[in-house]
Amino acid sequence: MAIPDVKEKWSGRVNTVTLGATPAEGGTRGSTVTVGGASGIPFLSFDGEMPHPPVVAMDVLDKQPAEWPKALAEAYGDVWSDPAAWAKRVKELGADLVNLRLVSIHPDEDDRSAEQAAETVKAVLAAVDLPLIIWGSGVPAKDQKVMPKVAEVCQGENCLLGAVTEDDYRTLTAAAQAYGHKLISLAPCDINKQKQVNILVSDMGYPIQDLVIYPTTTSLGYGMEYIYSILERGRLAALAGDKLMAPPVILDVGHESWRAKEARSGDEVAELWGPADQRGPAWEAVTACDLLQAGADILIMRHPKAIEAVRNAVSQLTGA
Amino acid sequence: MIIFSERINGMYRDVRKAINEKEKSVVQRLVKEQVAGGADIMDINLGPTKGDPVENFVWLAQTVHEVTDKPISLDSAKPKLLAEAVAKVHQALPGTKLVINSSTAAADCMATLVPVAAEHGASIIGLTMDQEGVPGNVERRVECGATFFMTAMEAGILPEDIYLDPIILPVNVAQKQPWAVMEAIRQLAILSDPPPHFILGLSNVSQKCLMRELINRTYLVMTITAGLDAAIMDAADKELVEAAISAEILLEKHLYSDDYIKAWKMQKGV
Repeated sequence: MAIPDVKEKWSGRVNTVTLGATPAEGGTRGSTVTVGGASGIPFLSFDGEMPHPPVVAMDVLDKQPAEWPKALAEAYGDVWSDPAAWAKRVKELGADLVNLRLVSIHPDEDDRSAEQAAETVKAVLAAVDLPLIIWGSGVPAKDQKVMPKVAEVCQGENCLLGAVTEDDYRTLTAAAQAYGHKLISLAPCDINKQKQVNILVSDMGYPIQDLVIYPTTTSLGYGMEYIYSILERGRLAALAGDKLMAPPVILDVGHESWRAKEARSGDEVAELWGPADQRGPAWEAVTACDLLQAGADILIMRHPKAIEAVRNAVSQLTGA
Repeated sequence: MIIFSERINGMYRDVRKAINEKEKSVVQRLVKEQVAGGADIMDINLGPTKGDPVENFVWLAQTVHEVTDKPISLDSAKPKLLAEAVAKVHQALPGTKLVINSSTAAADCMATLVPVAAEHGASIIGLTMDQEGVPGNVERRVECGATFFMTAMEAGILPEDIYLDPIILPVNVAQKQPWAVMEAIRQLAILSDPPPHFILGLSNVSQKCLMRELINRTYLVMTITAGLDAAIMDAADKELVEAAISAEILLEKHLYSDDYIKAWKMQKGV
């Protein structure tokens, strides 16, 4: 009996987005990073191509994190009070992109000003030549004040700014448009809203081709099947030709994984769960590998060992 | 939903006059209107016009092509004329995808048109009727549809280039037919995977009825549920088009969003 041909024929393709700008392109980055472009299900090379394998962005916070567990403190404790030094560390560890979180601008944190945030961004840009992802605090009123200033000081650098939502998209979209940055479009656990946000943003004249979508992330053990199915449905829509769902996907793996008690708990549970220094990174690595299969294009990660494991997985899956 | 624009048809007085007098602007205004409404394929039908019909087809196709590069469907009930017109239009517009509208499932008609479709890389619409006329029941429709589909496949035409038209008759004279058409689509849809397209000349269902637009709109939604994915219809009828998009949303053919009509338009670039 002949083996049936199970190849899928897709009419759509994930958009290709390039981040960062070299001096020749009007920026100061050492190189650029290009993501997306897949024409089939992840890692099924017989189905379609995956011209740009997933990349890793590494977290840098603009203030010392309060509750990061020991395994992460060991990796970054000596640099995490200085975002520039921290950015240098993630570059040494092989990050493709720096994921800068402006947590200190949050009114419940330090309520730092737009000018202070801009200084941080400038310091990080000066410290490393990787392309940047920059997130606001998630508080609309504050981000509306800070992010335009941030977008202005990194004009020409072709950064990825986050995030626009259904309720708060005008200011950041206008800032990204004015200063030439890419945008993250966020819709928590709702693929229909994701499409709606993309419509709203493109209605302002912002090109769909410059969006990266963030349909939210979860950690292993905390609703993975649910999030996976959302990501999968979005990707299948994109491959079936839905242009509004075609932007590449960014997922916040490190943040979610290290919230899980399985990753955070120390060696007091070692007898049952294994040693903390292996368990935490493993939790992050397995979460990331699950999400790679769902179609992640940019993984935001934290622990060096988890990143190493993910890079191995990607190179094995792509045969590189 | 693949929308074939029905408006470029010599049965309409303005179009007939435009063809007879070779007045491009009337046709091109209609084409623009249909494309703006979301038409994917421009169906052109000469109707009872003067002059050489092959030349008229070439003129009309070129006139349409001057304002849109969308595929053009040549619509005539005369197989020999269609065969000749397709060859000439293909020669005049080599980059434009053509659709032959239509062949019946009668052997001589298929022998004339199916090879022409294969030769020119055209799509082809097969009516589910043969020399004995339009079937009044489901079974004969399915039989004719299957015959046409197999013949086209054997000629090397892919399912994506084959359209089956189960022929809708006016509801005011043949009230059992709307259901029979839907049932025929359901049965023909399981012929192959992927299935061919299913198409109707939609406005025929409401010929000489009082509530034409309401009947067209309602029947389009009903047939989409049965598996219809193409229609020869008025793309400028906003309520008709939006009802079709809504039906497809409810059948999960597109991903829902609050602005799904806008999303559909963005997707089409209109």
